[in-house]
Amino acid sequence: MAAPLELSCWGGGWGLPSVHSESLVVMAYAKFSGAPLKVNVIDNTWRGSRGDVPVLATEDNIVSQPAKILNFLRKQKYNADYELSAKQGADTLAYIALLEEKLLPAVLHTFWVESDNYFTVTKPWFASRMPFPLSLILPGRMSKGALNRILLTRGEPPLYHLREVEAQIYRDAKECLNLLSNRLGTSQFFFGDTPCTLDAYVFGFLAPLYKVRFPKVQLQEHLKQLSNLCRFCDDILNSYFRLSLGVDG
Amino acid sequence: MSLVAEAFVSQIAGKVPFIHVGNQVVSELGPIVQFVKAKGHSLSDRLDEVQKAEMKAYMELVNNMLLTAELYLQWCDEATVGEITHARYGSPYPWPLNHILAYQKQWEVKRKMKAIGWGKKTLDQVLEDVDQCCQALSQRLGTQPYFFNKQPTELDALVFGHLYTILTTQLTNDELSEKVKNYSNLLAFCRRIEQHYFEDHGRGRLS
Repeated sequence: MAAPLELSCWGGGWGLPSVHSESLVVMAYAKFSGAPLKVNVIDNTWRGSRGDVPVLATEDNIVSQPAKILNFLRKQKYNADYELSAKQGADTLAYIALLEEKLLPAVLHTFWVESDNYFTVTKPWFASRMPFPLSLILPGRMSKGALNRILLTRGEPPLYHLREVEAQIYRDAKECLNLLSNRLGTSQFFFGDTPCTLDAYVFGFLAPLYKVRFPKVQLQEHLKQLSNLCRFCDDILNSYFRLSLGVDG
Repeated sequence: MSLVAEAFVSQIAGKVPFIHVGNQVVSELGPIVQFVKAKGHSLSDRLDEVQKAEMKAYMELVNNMLLTAELYLQWCDEATVGEITHARYGSPYPWPLNHILAYQKQWEVKRKMKAIGWGKKTLDQVLEDVDQCCQALSQRLGTQPYFFNKQPTELDALVFGHLYTILTTQLTNDELSEKVKNYSNLLAFCRRIEQHYFEDHGRGRLS
């Protein structure tokens, strides 16, 4: 019998099994590939380092970062991509790069940098799942990390001011959403009838944006107009996560 | 300073990609695209929406993996930094500015690497990422002359710029260019573009 696989990740809310994109990517991939994961939701009592979450623990290994975790699962024969052609595999890598470069900065901004959102939603949510005094320090650190990442990767000449960077990243994110919507079309998943790695990534990045209730919602509004992407998220939630949603509110 | 050295300095200053074409040096993507366009070929206007999405995705893949790997190799691999990058980056400037600017640049690049999660990567892991990227590009290209069949697009320009830089730049080890050379269709792709577009300016450096 395979060694038990335990995934530690951030919990859910607003109808999602997790509100954290990277955790969601791993959870979705596990469902798609049939990997039997025991999910440990992080709360006040969790003693591990929260910086690395999501973290997969097996008997002899600890793996962090979604790409590495997915690689590990594939090596354990939980492969959601085995029906893909070589070109489709290449396309997967390319689209994931697109998500990380064009969509992620705006998602990070919506959750961690936009002050109304951060102070009324994100910070209280995360702080309530950390023990004192970590709850006073870590959310701020995560917020700074997000801002840092945005500025270091996108704040290059000729964009110097944060305002301009913000405008640009939201433009890029909306364009990225449009591209994804065009690419998905009327198909159920990105490569045919069964979901694979790319679907896990798109779901992981989109679902929190789609479902979490924020005060400042420009990107969310844009996403809601792309009905096929919303349908995509809802389908996955209903088909793969319905049973576990009764547990966490 | 000679044009070649200047080009190398600006290239390792992070403004990749660049093309050294005989006496002409073209750096940054925009001018390269103009250069290719000026040779009489249109670029991505004929692509449909799905193809445009694919093209943009592959361009991000190249930026994400190849550009970052190039920066990593130049600035985070101690051997390369010590022997080549540090001296070259500072060479246009008098002492002590040459050292200060080189260290500052190195610090900036390391900060960026850390922010995107590459801070803890080893050289082997970076090379593996490059290999994965080249494999994806190779599979996408297949046996076609260009990524979107008969006509070159911005993607071809970007891929050419990066691969050419990797193949022709001297570093302390050849592992990066060896990774690219493993993929014969990518090598042929670079040679083909060099010959078609730049041959009137002297013999190519890839042959």
